[in-house]
Amino acid sequence: MKKKSKILGGAGETVLLTGNEAVARGCLEAGMAVGAGYPGTPASTIMEKLGEVANELGFWAEFSVNEAVAFEVAAGSSLAGVRSLMSTKMLGVNLIADALTVISVTGVRGGLVIITADDPQQFSSQNAEDTRFFGMLAKVPVLEPGDGQEAKDMMKYAFELSEELELPVFFRITPRICHSSFAVELGEIRKPKRDGKFIRDPKRFVTISTYSRPRQPILHEKIARAKKIFNTNTWNRIYDHQNGKVFEKGSVYNTFGVIASGLTYPYVEEVLEATKINARVMKLATTYPLPEDYMVDFMSDLDQVLIIEENDGVTELQSRALAQRKRLNVRIMGKDDGLIPLSGELNPDIVGAAFEKLFGVKFQEDLTEPYLEAQELVSQRVPSLCAGCPHRSSFYALREALRRKGKGGAIMGDRGCYNQGAYEPLEGMDTCICMGASIAMASGLSHSGTKEPVLSVIGDGTFYHAGIPSLLNAVHNRSNIVSLIFDNSITAMTGHQLNPGSGVNLMGQHTGFANLKKIVEACGVEHVHVINAFDVEKLVETVMEEIDHDGVSVIISRAPCALVVERNIRKKKLKMHSAVVELDKCVGCKICMKKIGCPAFSWSNDPKPHLEILSHCNGCGLCVEMCPFGAISIPDRPDGVLGISIKKEVTK
Amino acid sequence: MNVILCGVGGNGVVLTTRIIAEAALRDGIKVRVGEVHGLAMRGGTVVSHLRLGSDAKGVLVPLRKADILLAFEPLEALRQMRFLKRGAKVILNNQTYVGVDAHLGLSKYPEVCDILEKIEAAQDIVDVPASRLAIESGSVIMTNVVMLGCLSASKELPISRDSLIDAIKSRVPPLMIDSNIKAFELGEKAFQDWEKNVVCQA
Repeated sequence: MKKKSKILGGAGETVLLTGNEAVARGCLEAGMAVGAGYPGTPASTIMEKLGEVANELGFWAEFSVNEAVAFEVAAGSSLAGVRSLMSTKMLGVNLIADALTVISVTGVRGGLVIITADDPQQFSSQNAEDTRFFGMLAKVPVLEPGDGQEAKDMMKYAFELSEELELPVFFRITPRICHSSFAVELGEIRKPKRDGKFIRDPKRFVTISTYSRPRQPILHEKIARAKKIFNTNTWNRIYDHQNGKVFEKGSVYNTFGVIASGLTYPYVEEVLEATKINARVMKLATTYPLPEDYMVDFMSDLDQVLIIEENDGVTELQSRALAQRKRLNVRIMGKDDGLIPLSGELNPDIVGAAFEKLFGVKFQEDLTEPYLEAQELVSQRVPSLCAGCPHRSSFYALREALRRKGKGGAIMGDRGCYNQGAYEPLEGMDTCICMGASIAMASGLSHSGTKEPVLSVIGDGTFYHAGIPSLLNAVHNRSNIVSLIFDNSITAMTGHQLNPGSGVNLMGQHTGFANLKKIVEACGVEHVHVINAFDVEKLVETVMEEIDHDGVSVIISRAPCALVVERNIRKKKLKMHSAVVELDKCVGCKICMKKIGCPAFSWSNDPKPHLEILSHCNGCGLCVEMCPFGAISIPDRPDGVLGISIKKEVTK
Repeated sequence: MNVILCGVGGNGVVLTTRIIAEAALRDGIKVRVGEVHGLAMRGGTVVSHLRLGSDAKGVLVPLRKADILLAFEPLEALRQMRFLKRGAKVILNNQTYVGVDAHLGLSKYPEVCDILEKIEAAQDIVDVPASRLAIESGSVIMTNVVMLGCLSASKELPISRDSLIDAIKSRVPPLMIDSNIKAFELGEKAFQDWEKNVVCQA
């Protein structure tokens, strides 16, 4: 029996939900009709949760091929008057900017909400950009919930606001909302209104300049209206804190103020309670545009205001401008003063430190002797690719081919779980910038006059997302590169979401498979190889051959994700053919470790130094090939290329 | 009350935290959970912050404010020690996970006796062979349930045994309920044995 989705609880129930589940439930309570997204930690599970219930409730949910497409899909359905969602992590907002800055001019019909998960601590992101600047750029309001309950309730409100203003609305969350769990009281699920109807209005939606120029003032007027709405809505709240207790605004006298945006309010609450500092605190949920009158009213009674926000000082910047314009005599403090750090997420200790500096109070307990000594002993674990991951074999082959060529060379990388292959000992990538950058940057490098081989690496999901135009460009502009596509036919990094190569979509419908080889050939590439990722020697030889070829070569290195293999082995109750070490033959040289560093490796000194293999080894067989002494084998292994027969069996 | 749970990817830290949180909710206790599993692949550091009652404000526990540490791995216990009050209870599974990175010299794994010595210097530690007991009850997968049994027997949490058991039952397949209960009981017994031993030594 399929377990009932956690986001389908009855109205009035209080259930434990993650922030992402709460957001998804909010979409159900808003009667969302179409949701499109692209996976990216920490936001991926929002679309997954929606996908689980889409058929049952009758709305459309999809993982699109990339964020730009997802946003345009959502914009298209909004045009037909139905509530539409786009979900991404903040880096995806870079891709939607092109459409977003125009859709804000045309305006929307059905509510259009864009979930963006910012990542100030960079738990799983390459930068810490702040989506609020995109709100300012495109003139799109930004809402920020402070906890799980608000995440659900405010999501419903976001759709209403979008329809009221006829503007897209940003819904900004962070990992501390997405991955935290909260007790959430549920409301009524609203039946999705999926009755789209397209009404022609070319003067609005065809944005030739003669049509779109007159719409600029309309957009500015909408933002002015948003300010007014935010002045009076109840998401922004003001409390007075005195002697560790909380009062209604105005019931006690305060001259020191705090503006705490998003989920930083409870941090402030905790610090004020512990330190007994008196302050008037605004919990700010509408971070663009600011609720100006509300803020002026707040600041005009105060001498000093400390602004607490994650990522950049966006509220600080706008507040200073507002105070200057309104000639308020208030000192505004925050990141510019060094009180709140510019980098990293906030937490109660960091907020506490700001109060310690300002008031000479004590919030944080000292880390005394035993605690300091404990810290000294701790070192960070270095991540690696999973045991049995086909990328390990591919990366090893790439480096080995370059080593045999003896000419140096560059491996331009891309984004995916193969990023873990950049660590020692594989060191399989020399760059990793953004989705799709590998092939284009390799092209540029090949035109730079370098005499060294130029290689690139991209996964199948990332290739569909942003690699195809770069490959077309490389062929069109006669780059001299060897481009590897690591094909496991799934978007593994963010939790095995389906992609055009998977043959199934988020609604569970069977679809056509994207034919990766034919796509590559259709781009005009003549040298195309499809090789089993575990066939190391063939990979090495082919890479070496293609380095000598002047032009674009593509090698598709193909094998399923190790975690999918493991899951299938468990599901089908098959035997895991783990590798074993023959004690007599193992000389303790650690060559296997130094070459491929598999996390299924362990070490024992009893009775002599030797390799041990842990039970989660799935028998990929790469280490068998690495051992010069033949000490590693896979008993009962089916014949054929190492590790592969079982993979064929389990992935049928 | 503040509880920190920690371990490495694959230990079930996240699931265990949610089980306790759901049990708290059943008992009508205010609860909030913060988790870090950015790259929670097998062997990576995983930690969650569980806040109960009047401490259930923000999702993060301030340094030196936690009352209990439920640690699935010794080095991870040491890593999170900075969050503990002096004298706070540490329930530790003594099964180490030394990653290949440490064997390669990319990171260091301290001697287990050094780890224990550092923790004992400031905390009230309960050291249990939870992984071994889990294997006894059927599978190493149930290590987290053994740990829950220990935690329950310690009476440190304001959450009832029944609610914990109900929360476990709601999370595991029907066929696995009996072995999970066994694992829970082995955990309880391990805690009681530890207490007896400590009393004897004293």
